[in-house]
Amino acid sequence: MDNLNIKATQYTPKIDFDATGTFSLVGKSYPENTFEFYEPMMNWVKAYFEKDTPAKTTVNIEITYFNSSSSKLFFDFFDLLEENNEENEIVVNWIYDEENESAEEAGEDFIEDFENLNINLVTK
Amino acid sequence: MEKHENKLVQEIEALREKFSKTTAKLIKNVKRQDLIMVRSDKRQRKEYDELQKRLQDVIELQKAQKDLLEAFIKLIASAIDAKSKYTGGHCERVPELALMIADAAHDSTEGIFESFSFQDEDERRCLSIASWLHDCGKVTTPEYVVDKATKLETIYNRIHEVRTRFEVIHRDKTIEALNRKLDGEDKKEVDSWLVTAHEKLIEEFEVVARANVGAEFMKDDIKEKIKSIAARSWVRNFDDTLGLAHEEKKRVLTENSITPQVEQLLSDKSRHIIPRESFDYDQYDKMGFKTKVPEHLYNLGELYNIMVPAGTLSYEERFKIQEHVQMTLVMLEKLPFPDYLKKVPLFSGAHHETLIGSGYPRELKIDDMPVASRIMAVADVFEALTASDRPYKEPKTLSVSVKILSFMVKDQHLDKDIFKLFLSSGIYKAYAEKYLKPEQIDEVDISKYLCL
Repeated sequence: MDNLNIKATQYTPKIDFDATGTFSLVGKSYPENTFEFYEPMMNWVKAYFEKDTPAKTTVNIEITYFNSSSSKLFFDFFDLLEENNEENEIVVNWIYDEENESAEEAGEDFIEDFENLNINLVTK
Repeated sequence: MEKHENKLVQEIEALREKFSKTTAKLIKNVKRQDLIMVRSDKRQRKEYDELQKRLQDVIELQKAQKDLLEAFIKLIASAIDAKSKYTGGHCERVPELALMIADAAHDSTEGIFESFSFQDEDERRCLSIASWLHDCGKVTTPEYVVDKATKLETIYNRIHEVRTRFEVIHRDKTIEALNRKLDGEDKKEVDSWLVTAHEKLIEEFEVVARANVGAEFMKDDIKEKIKSIAARSWVRNFDDTLGLAHEEKKRVLTENSITPQVEQLLSDKSRHIIPRESFDYDQYDKMGFKTKVPEHLYNLGELYNIMVPAGTLSYEERFKIQEHVQMTLVMLEKLPFPDYLKKVPLFSGAHHETLIGSGYPRELKIDDMPVASRIMAVADVFEALTASDRPYKEPKTLSVSVKILSFMVKDQHLDKDIFKLFLSSGIYKAYAEKYLKPEQIDEVDISKYLCL
């Protein structure tokens, strides 16, 4: 399986998903069409969990600012992770700058919403 | 039939189950949708607050920077004013006067002022800053030149040194008289010779001393007289290469140490020439400076200086004084001004230009001179004429100052339209009431100037 690498733009994050089990999502998320933008990522993740999935998957998310449709997308993404949580070891690191209060709160909310997922809050 | 019914019931049950699952999922989705909206709103609000706060910070920072810049500019101006009592509050008053005229020009739509107006407060600030900085190059001008009050002055007035030589010659004459008497000459004759010789010396010293003050234009007969006085001799018995710093020593001829030596009363010697070292002629040309650069940095020659025809400054010193505008330009053009202040160097550096290319340092003509520079030129001259804090001159009255401005307008050194606006707007009077002494303020018949 190929890795997924998408460069950052002014409005979209840098996406580096490694088939060996390390996912990284860094930047801001204000795509013009959020679902279209993240479609390749979602498809890649679905395929990743279908077969030959590594024993452990680490997801590092460092999104400083995001719009509401990105928020919806993250729910879908976490749903997908949660669905595969039983068979695989998945760790999500929600990384934020200490001064970025809204990023911190968003992380806290996701922890609350996805009780079955192992989400860590990590300050930079 | 029953079988059929059962199947139907099963199907309905299945459908119902599917329906309720879908409904549950839908409800979950709707609830989630609501949650997302509520959270997004909350987050956006927070981000909005944060952005607002940052914007506020930026605005405050910008203001603080503007204030700091302004304070720095005023600091430089006050440093120049404080450096020399001869310029007094010049750097502080010129911006005020320039802005008074510029505001009137902004309000006027007549003549050249039709195209002159401040588009916004920033443009006005540009002119204000330019006039605050118009003399900033003067921080580099040596005090001895700025403050040169007599022709023989370097760091001190060398008239005292010259007077001592007169004293020496005076005593030499007395000794000569005594010797002549010892040799048997007629006592009465010698005494009367001595009285005449002493009187002549005293009179000659007075001529030199009067010339030294430089208050009046030196006439040809005085020039001739001073040349002949300068040629008087005295005998030096001491080595005048002793006690010198190495810089001065470089300029002194070694044969000077041989004594006794016959010296002239006033002389021009190699030690008086201060060479011009490390002058960047390329940059001078690149900056567009046209004023001819004197060969030497200074010529402190005694005769050379006492022969200065008017004022106290030699050619080299006059250049040094005028060089302050070049320095202003060199300094200001190096500063990374923001766009709205880009014209500061242009405005500041043209206040000694005239309308016909006879000014300095770029010999600009009217078309190259922005109205703002022409306004500053008028403000600069008027402030200098009326200033009452210059120890070297009596302040001029309002009417005399206006008259001098009108001469400069006739000579096309100053702009006629700005001069007329200066009078018709009443600014000359408003400024005078604020800054001139009551005894300076007299009636000015502006009507005779307005029809120029």
